[in-house]
Amino acid sequence: MTRLLAAFAFAALGALGAVQQSPADSVLEARTAEVAAQLRCPVCQGLSIQDSPSELSQQMRSVVKDQLRAGKSPDEVKAYFISKYGEWILLEPKPKGFNVLVYLMPVLLVVIGLGWIVVAVRKWTRPPDSPA
Amino acid sequence: MTRLLAHDAILVSMAVVLFGIVAVPVAMRTGRRGLLPYAFAAVYTNFFLVSVAAVAMVYALVTHDFSVSYVAQVGGRATPLLFTVISLWGALEGSILFWAWVLSMYAAAVVWINSRRPGNLVPYAAATLLFVSFFFAILLVGPADPFGAVSPVPSDGPGPNPLLQNHILMAIHPPLLYLGYVGMSVPFAFAVGAMLSGEVETDDWMRITRRWTLSAWALLSAAIIAGMWWSYEVLGWGGYWAWDPVENASFLPWLTATAFLHSAMVQERRGMLRLWNLNLVVGTFLLTILGTFLTRSGIVSSVHAFTTGTIGYYFLAFIAIVMLASLALVAGNSERLRSTGRFDSAASRETVFLLNNLFLTAFMFTVLTGTLFPLVAEAIKGVKVSVGEPFFNRMSLPIVVTLLFLMGVGPALPWKAASKAELKAKLVPPAAGAGLMLVIALVAGARNVYALLAFAFAGYAAFANLREYWIGMRARRIAHGEGWGTALVRLVGGNRHRYGGYTAHLGVILVAFGIAASSTFRTEYEATIKPGETISLSGHTLRLKAMWGREEPQRSVVGATLEVMNGSMVKGTMEPRMNFYPMSQSPVPTPAVRSRFLGDLYVNLQAFRPDGSNATIRVIYEPLVPWIWFGGGVVVFGALIAIFPTGRRTDA
Repeated sequence: MTRLLAAFAFAALGALGAVQQSPADSVLEARTAEVAAQLRCPVCQGLSIQDSPSELSQQMRSVVKDQLRAGKSPDEVKAYFISKYGEWILLEPKPKGFNVLVYLMPVLLVVIGLGWIVVAVRKWTRPPDSPA
Repeated sequence: MTRLLAHDAILVSMAVVLFGIVAVPVAMRTGRRGLLPYAFAAVYTNFFLVSVAAVAMVYALVTHDFSVSYVAQVGGRATPLLFTVISLWGALEGSILFWAWVLSMYAAAVVWINSRRPGNLVPYAAATLLFVSFFFAILLVGPADPFGAVSPVPSDGPGPNPLLQNHILMAIHPPLLYLGYVGMSVPFAFAVGAMLSGEVETDDWMRITRRWTLSAWALLSAAIIAGMWWSYEVLGWGGYWAWDPVENASFLPWLTATAFLHSAMVQERRGMLRLWNLNLVVGTFLLTILGTFLTRSGIVSSVHAFTTGTIGYYFLAFIAIVMLASLALVAGNSERLRSTGRFDSAASRETVFLLNNLFLTAFMFTVLTGTLFPLVAEAIKGVKVSVGEPFFNRMSLPIVVTLLFLMGVGPALPWKAASKAELKAKLVPPAAGAGLMLVIALVAGARNVYALLAFAFAGYAAFANLREYWIGMRARRIAHGEGWGTALVRLVGGNRHRYGGYTAHLGVILVAFGIAASSTFRTEYEATIKPGETISLSGHTLRLKAMWGREEPQRSVVGATLEVMNGSMVKGTMEPRMNFYPMSQSPVPTPAVRSRFLGDLYVNLQAFRPDGSNATIRVIYEPLVPWIWFGGGVVVFGALIAIFPTGRRTDA
């Protein structure tokens, strides 16, 4: 029974941090969801704070919502989290500097591959007796 | 006692395996083929010895023998029997033991089925499998020893990771994954065997390899779907795929194996792409080892990566050895790997297979780059970056819609060459399927361009693949006067490879519809409500009836009982819960899911007040999610159709 009580007490902390649903401002909800989906839950494995049911994510979501309600732009909200956690908090790396590589390499592979296929199919469909 | 028996079994198996690895080349080089039965016996003996170790571990787990280090790590007297047994694969050391066991079983099966085949292919393949076994045996006596001694012997253990003992799918997903993952060692062994024995140009090894790849691929497909289902049922976020490094690791070899299953047909028909196919087989195997390295070394932190230690270096060394050896073998066989065939026309199924291979490879490369990039960035630039869901979605969606389109074009095009009239007759009608799905998606409210393309191309592919069945059945009805049912059975039975493939396509299309619909039309709402109050979403109303708590031997459970309302009528109840395990900081969510043909109602208990006076409930409506699980079943069914041997093969 003590274990169950402890469990309840623990969950109470969660309840305190939980979002207290005001009459839903659906526009604000949607904007919050959009920003929250781009921020990483620091205690999960690659989930965004939008998806994660963890207590910390619920708190961070309410921070996002409060800041958006106070008139900050989505970029300003993200900048706030970057200043606290570093760029690591963004689930998608900013496409500049070294990070460009991760965006560019797959595209390069497709371009080179398509080029190779065009050359190969041309070569393979040429009549066998014509000069190579 | 059990500990020493198992430990010694692994040590003896290493000696036996070494003998086998040496005996095969000696027998070949000196012409003493009389040695070969002994090498094969080494394969069987290894299977027996690793089985002894694995069974001993299960026995130690079940009898709570906490003098064994692994049992002390994952065992617990309060854990239910089933979860005690399956904690065999619940942590690093046990999963390496399980891997070694599955591998020894595959090696025994390969020898059992093929040992009477003449030539040097099978002995070399067996020796290759023994070589891989030896690597895992080294791990089992070195950095991943599950049979260490514990002193003093504790009276109880912590029990397995709560996430792993919270759902029955943990008894299904990991074994399937290991069977699929380790199964990719067999095609690799035959590829190495073919190169060592100089039989790469015979194409015989390709026929054997293709069947083994297909079985492993079917198991891996089932495992990936089961893993998605587990994530959906346990993690409480309402999703099934988070592009977590572990998920990516299971997906990478699936992509290259899928590419191989297609390009192997080009080699069979046209004698081309030999070198490329060899690369795909070796690459698939390397990706399984890389995936194990990523997930088991703890280098990429993730739910499944339980450890940090020296084991990573062992994996890196093994990957390097396999890469160098494969490169040397390919170089040594370059003359034999020359392509002999040619294409008749660019407008042919062959060309579509080339594009299919390009985009599957590009998909693999994208996921691989994204998964490894945080490591590279940290190593080179010293910065920590995340590469997560938004990146993978952005990069993979164009590839996915292209592949869906190709999946419709490929089956419609004939081999060799298609005339202009043929192209028109084959490629235009499926556009009706594309148009229909596009209209449905638009009416349903989809506006995202990739979502619309996904629906349209999935509709195109569905139409094209179903049409192949219809054309074949109609031809049989006219030619043989058969009924629709008989025509279908005989059509598929007459060319299992082909129609098994189309069935697998239909399964993939169902999965695609499920993913596209659930990510486009998902709606959710979260609210804190008191008992008696209701929460509504997309026409579904739930009333909180009561909060409750319950003690179970291994955990405490807090749940909410919600009634699904239809007006004032109660249609059913849902009970989302939170499970509290003593060893875990945070509760394990256990959402409630109400599945219907068109979608799931998904309810998670986010938080609650300890006196039960209110609860925070997240309700998600997930359209078509059941189609993903069903589609996965169809994919596996398609693979099974293709695996069963064909008596008479007709080329339709």
